[in-house]
Order: sequence, then structure tokens, then C-alpha cells
Amino acid sequence: MALRQRAAANGADDDTLFDEAFLAKLELLQVIARRLFRGRQRAERKTRKIGSGLEFADHREYSPGDDIRYIDWTAWVRLRQRLIRLYEEDEDLPIRIVVDVSDSMTTRGRRKLRYARQVAAALAYVGLASLDRVGLSCVSGRTFETLPAVRGKGRIFKVFEFLRTVAPGGPTDLRHGLSRVAAQSTQPGLTIVISDFYDMQAFEGLNLLRFRRHDPVAIQVIDPIEADPRSTGLRGDVMVVDCEGDTRREVTVTARTLDAFAQAHERFCATLESNCRSRGIHYVRANIDVPFDDLVLRMFRMGGILL
Amino acid sequence: MTVAGLLPIAIGGAVAITGMYLLRMRRRQVVVPFAALWEQVTRESESRKLWRRLRRLLSWLVQIVVLLLICVTLGDPRPDVWLREPVTLAIVVDRSASMSGTTDAGGTRLDDARVRAQQEVAALGPADQAVIIAAGEEVGVVAARSGDTTALSAALATIEASHGEADLARALALAEHVVADAVGPRILVLTDGALDDGGMVALARCTASVIPCQVVAVAGGTENIAITAFAARRYPNARDKVEVLAEVKNLGDLPVVVELDVEADGVSVGRRRMELLPGQSRREALADLEAARARFVAHLREVEDPIAGFSTALGPGFDDVAYAVVPPLSPLAVTVVTDGTDLFLEAALLTQGDHVELTGVTPEQAQAGHDALREADVVVFDVADGALPQTLPEAHVLVFDPWRTANSPCPIAKRGDLKRPFLTEQLREHPVLGHVVLKDVNIARGTTFALEPGDQALVRTLGEPIVVLRERGEHGLVAVGFDPRQSDFPLRVAFPVFVDNVLRYFEQREPGFVASIALGGSRELSLADLGVTADGVTRVEVRSPDGTLREQPVEEGRVRVRALLPGFYEFRPLGGGAEAGTAELAVNQTGSAASDLHSRLADADPAIFAGEAPGAAPVAQGPLWTAILLLAAAIVVLEWATYHRRITV
Repeated sequence: MALRQRAAANGADDDTLFDEAFLAKLELLQVIARRLFRGRQRAERKTRKIGSGLEFADHREYSPGDDIRYIDWTAWVRLRQRLIRLYEEDEDLPIRIVVDVSDSMTTRGRRKLRYARQVAAALAYVGLASLDRVGLSCVSGRTFETLPAVRGKGRIFKVFEFLRTVAPGGPTDLRHGLSRVAAQSTQPGLTIVISDFYDMQAFEGLNLLRFRRHDPVAIQVIDPIEADPRSTGLRGDVMVVDCEGDTRREVTVTARTLDAFAQAHERFCATLESNCRSRGIHYVRANIDVPFDDLVLRMFRMGGILL
Repeated sequence: MTVAGLLPIAIGGAVAITGMYLLRMRRRQVVVPFAALWEQVTRESESRKLWRRLRRLLSWLVQIVVLLLICVTLGDPRPDVWLREPVTLAIVVDRSASMSGTTDAGGTRLDDARVRAQQEVAALGPADQAVIIAAGEEVGVVAARSGDTTALSAALATIEASHGEADLARALALAEHVVADAVGPRILVLTDGALDDGGMVALARCTASVIPCQVVAVAGGTENIAITAFAARRYPNARDKVEVLAEVKNLGDLPVVVELDVEADGVSVGRRRMELLPGQSRREALADLEAARARFVAHLREVEDPIAGFSTALGPGFDDVAYAVVPPLSPLAVTVVTDGTDLFLEAALLTQGDHVELTGVTPEQAQAGHDALREADVVVFDVADGALPQTLPEAHVLVFDPWRTANSPCPIAKRGDLKRPFLTEQLREHPVLGHVVLKDVNIARGTTFALEPGDQALVRTLGEPIVVLRERGEHGLVAVGFDPRQSDFPLRVAFPVFVDNVLRYFEQREPGFVASIALGGSRELSLADLGVTADGVTRVEVRSPDGTLREQPVEEGRVRVRALLPGFYEFRPLGGGAEAGTAELAVNQTGSAASDLHSRLADADPAIFAGEAPGAAPVAQGPLWTAILLLAAAIVVLEWATYHRRITV
């Protein structure tokens, strides 16, 4: 009964997810983004795709079927080798935002999921406002919903609708979800993964994106109460049940146990951050008590992630 | 309730508790987003799992214990001591000096009595009551009638052996009075049996009375040697010298060698080594001691070089010390009413020396009421043809030939006149006639007296009393029925001896010779007996040997004194301008009876003795079940509080 009541409350919460106040904040974010990145033009970011651009990139040996117009005759004269000239192809960078909608994001009244949606919508709005192509994916072990890349500020309501209607649930399986995102992306780009990363194989998913030449960004959404439950007053013999499966464990909660848990959680997050940084993956820890617009602004100031 | 009735309750309660316990053991579910982290944390505490389970089992056991306590409470089991008729017990504890004697266990007889009394108190049921009476020289209620065993036990601990005998007669009378109207009266006497005659009589009367009275005899060693008498006196004819007499008695069953040490004002003035067989007593006199030393103390000490076959043990120490004071030296005021013609009488009086303050008064002055007559201790009338005063003074009186004239104030009536009487019979054993021989005394004329009951005819002439002693109240009167001038009595050696004897007899009737008394409760003493002038004295400050001061009222020259400690008591008169000077009094043990540690109950009827000590009541007080219920409730509250505050889990 309690779960049903909570579900009903969550439905009402979804209706107010992107209300007028939220939109006002998005407008403010866009203004700030313009001031911060004034002068930059679209397509200044280049993909690493080798194609028909103007800037020389590399040579490779000729193979039958290549356009002979790209044979470097000067090199043939000098070296007697048939080499094809390669050029970097200028192309606008697509942005894909992946939102974890697993059950772990729905605990404590879906606060993390709501926060993740708001951050995703904000980032999408900023991207769309910058005329970038923005696509969204909602992933879990049971769900994989994708909004194909759209362009233009007017598409933001489609984004809202997508984020609002995706049904959350299922276990966290970022590795599988991100691999599907990578497989579906015909063009690698900036891939922002918003999740609590409560998955021991989450980093492998991020790493997989990196292997597929994506530029991944990890935003770890953390509920401070879940990270440090010492203030909840939880004591005594309890049955700890994982929200994503059948894992059950009898635990006698004491103050010492709670201390140990807080430390273990901190170690878990620090390990994820360390792994990300060691592989050039941007990592942002998002406390849901911090307003989402503050988080987005912080990401702006970090530079190199957006815009 | 019976066990059969309680069993379903116990079983049902146990089932309910177990069920609720199992329900409580169902853990609350806490949904977490990432259980893997909890697994990491709790893996470290797996080793304490067994203890936690045991602790939970302990919680269940506590509940079961509480249930059992409640069932026991419902069953209301009561020991037999609760079911029998209530008893009102009067415990009379002998705290006489003999109770300080040691026992084989190393304690004292009083310790044994106290232990037995504690056992009796511990055996009291919830409806029983007890009163504790201590019997010493004074009888006191140590603990009033009560069922509070704690208070009774505490009161027992305060009883200490006193000096002197136990006044069992009063103690048992008090005990009977206390329990007479109570339910289940019973008297228990705890004594060593070393009682005086009065105690034995009282005990026999108590054990024969309607109220059950039993005796618990505590035994102990009987070896004891005691100072049974100790006194000091001035020499009659050398009052600056004193003589001390001490009597030591071996009251034990072994020969003893001991040393008697007499100290005067803290200085040893004599030591005597004594070897005494069982039951033997010996008197030792220390002669020609200086009277300047007013306080004498005798100690019994163990000898440093014992003799084979003789014990050196002194026994209890209460009778190993005795006290004595030298009687105060107060001159005797003697007034002689004479016409001055009897030089023999004056000479006899002058031989008394400084001990006698002699005042001469003429018959005319005497008739006029001279002051010397009122202030005199002894008045001697030898007026010859002169007239006697209308009334004799309030003093001791020696009157010669009182019925020479018809109108005589002499209270001893005249019987008849005699010519040339012969003194044919005399009361030789009387002190007045000590060393006096009246044989062949020639007398010209004389008168005989008519005796009244109480009069003593000291000398008779052919059966008719001619010298009579009458003692009424504080004063005495010696009437001599002839004039010395009309006889050859003054020419004889007997005359000055007779005069001296009369004065000494009167002097000994005078106060000032009570220098030592025995231990005892409240008793009345005359201040004059202590050598203190009582005129105008309204109060007396009494200092006990332990230093305590107490003011006592004085009525008609008499004061009540409680002398419960041996030693020297000082009396300081207050009021009436009589603050000058103090008097001393020595207080000692009562004598050999008090020091004899042998039980006199050996031949008593065995029926009067109480049996073995009763067992302690399993539960002392009534509201046991209330206590159990409170305990159970406290356990439940404690367990609940600790569990729900996550202290015990």
C-alpha cells in the first residue's frame, strides 16, 4: 500500500517536473551560457572523423576503390608509393544525454531520478539553444528508450515529454545500456551519463564509450541521506533489501555500522572518480540537495565539457 | 493458587511471550539502492552474529523469568513462619559485668547472647513482634516492641556489657508487663547464669509463670580473680595517716598468682604478690600512708615471673581495679554546758586534740539559747545544780544526771531515785562501753530511767537502767543517771575512755564517712554523708569518671545519684553560697558475687532452657510479592527501554 501511494505521488511529481519555474531557470541558464561562450560559433568543435574536410590529417596506402583524386602524386614521385591524402572532416558534435532510470534512482521518492531528469533537460536545453544536435537515452536493465537527436530550441518540449514519459524501473545495468548507446550512435560525440552509478560494472560502460571515440561525461547523482544515513536514526536489527533485486541481508545497524557505511560509500565514489579521471573521463558529483541549475553552472565553469 | 491452577497460566503466558518474541524478531525491511555496500560493511561483523543471537535469546529468557515471577506471585507461597500464630517475644539480655567474660571461641559471653538474639529476631515472622530489654544495674528497653527486624538487629548491636550485676527482677517484670497483653507472649532470657540471689529468684518466678519464659545460657571460661573489697580510712588517733585495705579473691578453678598494686594519686604506694588457691581470698593492708593523697586505686596485674602450676590469667578486667577515697577530715564541734566545776570532764574532752572543736557554755548561756548549741555536733550537759535549758538542742547529747531537778527537758523519763547505786550490769559489746570497766564505781546518788522501745540500757543497777542510749532520727542521746561529781567515776581510767567512746560513737553517726559505694542505678545519698554542708544547696553538679557532668537537684540535703561506672565521682554543690569545696565518692563493683563467673543454672530444671536457635525466616517481611512484582515490572521496563532505544541490540 505504501508503495502504491508513493507511486501516485511520483506521478503527480512528474507533472510538475518541468513547470514554469523550471523553464525560467532554463532561460536564465541559456543567457548565462551565451555570456560565458560568446564568440564561439557552431561547428567549432571538430569530430575526429577523417573525411572530406580541408585540413590535412594523414596518409594511408592506396587500396583499390579509393578515389584517385586523393592520391598524393608528389609523394608518388618522391617515394614511388601510392598514398592517399586524408583530411579531417568538419562536422558539428552531437550531444547524447543518457539518464539512468533504474530502480536505484527511484528510492526515497524518486528524488535522484527527478534531479537527473532536470539536469538532463537543462543540459539538453542549453545544447539545443546552441544549435547542437541533442539526443537522449533512458537506460536500465529493463528499459532502453531513445530520443533521436534533434536540433533547435523548439524541440525542447519533445525532450521534456520524452523524459516525463519514460517509465523508470529495472536494475542498474550501465554497461549494457551504454554499449547500446554506443552501438546506436552513428556519430560519436559528447555523451553525458547521469546516474548514481550504483553498479559495480558502471565504469566499464563509460570506458566502452571512450573506446568508441565518444567523449563521455559522468554525472553521479547522490542522495546525501543514502550516502550517509547516520542522521536517519536507523538502529537495530533490520533486513536490508536491495531495491533492484532479491539481495537481502540481515544487518544490525549500530552507530559504528553507519559510520562504516558512510566511509564505504565515500570510498566507492572516490574510486569511480579516480577511475574516470585516470582515463580522461569528466566526472561530476551531483548532490541532489544542490539546485540543478547550480550544478549546470558549475559544469559551465569547469569548461571543456559543454560548449 | 495451586500449582495446577498456575500451570495453565504459566504455559499460556510462555506461549504468548514466545509468539510475541518471534514476532518481534521479524526484522524491519529497509530498502536500499545499493545493497553491495551494506554487504561490504556487515561482512566485518559476521563474527559477532552468534553473540547477537544469544543476546536475543537472553531477552526471551528475561521475559520468561518475569512470567515465572508473576506466576509465583499469584501462587502466593508463604513459609510456615507466616502461617503460624503470631508471637510477641521479649528478649531479655543479661548485660552484667560477668557477660564480658570470654568464651572458647574468643568472643565474649555477650557476643554469644547477641548472636542468639539475632537468630531469634531473624526467625520472626511478618506478624511477630519483639522487644529487647537489657538488664544491667539499670534496666532499659533497647528496642521497643516492633516487627522491624532491621531496627531490632541494630538495637542488639548497641548492647554492651555493663559493670555490676543484672537487675533481672526488674527486667523480667518489665518483660512480663510488655508482653502480657500481647498475642503469643514469650520471654527469652539470655544470660550466663552468673546471677545473684535476686536474679535467681526472679528467674525461677518467671519460668514458673503463665507466660512462657525460657532461658538461653551462654557459657564461657570461669577463671577470674577480683578485688572484692577496697577501702581507706584514717587512723582514729592519727588522722593525718590512712590505712588501706584490699581484699583479693580467686573465683576461678585454678590456682592463681597475681600482683596487687595500689596507687595513690597515680603513684604506686604498695605492691603485694599473692598466690591464691581456688576460692581463696586474701586481705592486704597498707598501713601508715599519708592522708594527703586522697585517691587510692588498686590494680591487679599479671606477674612477670609465674609459678609452675599457677595461672596468671586475671579473667575479665572489670573487677581488676578498685577505687577508694580518704574520708574527709572534718572536726567534731562539741559544746560543753558546765558550771566549770568538773575539771575531769574538761580534761577528758581536751585529750581529743584538734579533732574536736571544744566550746564551753555556762548553764545560763545555754538557757538563753547560745549559738554554740545550735552549731554543735555534740552537746555535753554537766550542769550539776544548774538548770538545763527548756529543750535539748538538735544535736547529739550526752547529759549527766538529767533528773536532778523535777523539770527536765530530758526525753528519757525518770523511773526512780536511788541512793548509792551500784553499777551491776553493762552492755560490754556496745561501742560506747568499749574498754570501759564500771565495776566498783561508787556513786552517792542517782536516777534510773524508764525505757521506751528502741532505747538501749547501756548500764544497769540491779536491773534498772541507769545509763541509757536513745537514738531517734539523726541524733542520739546518752543519759547518765548520776553526777560524776557525786561519784569516783572521774577518777577512774574508764571515764575519759567513756567520754571518748561517746564522742566517737556520735561522730560515726555523723556524716562524712560514706566514702565508697557499690555500683548501682539511681540511689539517694545525703550530702552530709559526703562531707558537704547541705545548707541552702539546691543542686549538685556530679562529674562521672568518664568526665560527663550532670546536675542533680537536692531536696532536704539528699541527692539521687546514678553510679554505673566504677571510679571517682565528684560532687560540687551549687546554690546557697555553698560552692566552696567538693566531695569525692568512690564507686566499685558490688563484690565477689558480681565477679563470680560460675553459672548458677547448672542444677536448674532442663525444661526452662530454650532449645537450639530457630532457623531464620525465609522471607522477613510481608510485602514480598509487591517487591517481586515491582522487580518484574522494572525488568520489563528496562528490557523494553534498552531494546527500543537500540541499546541492547
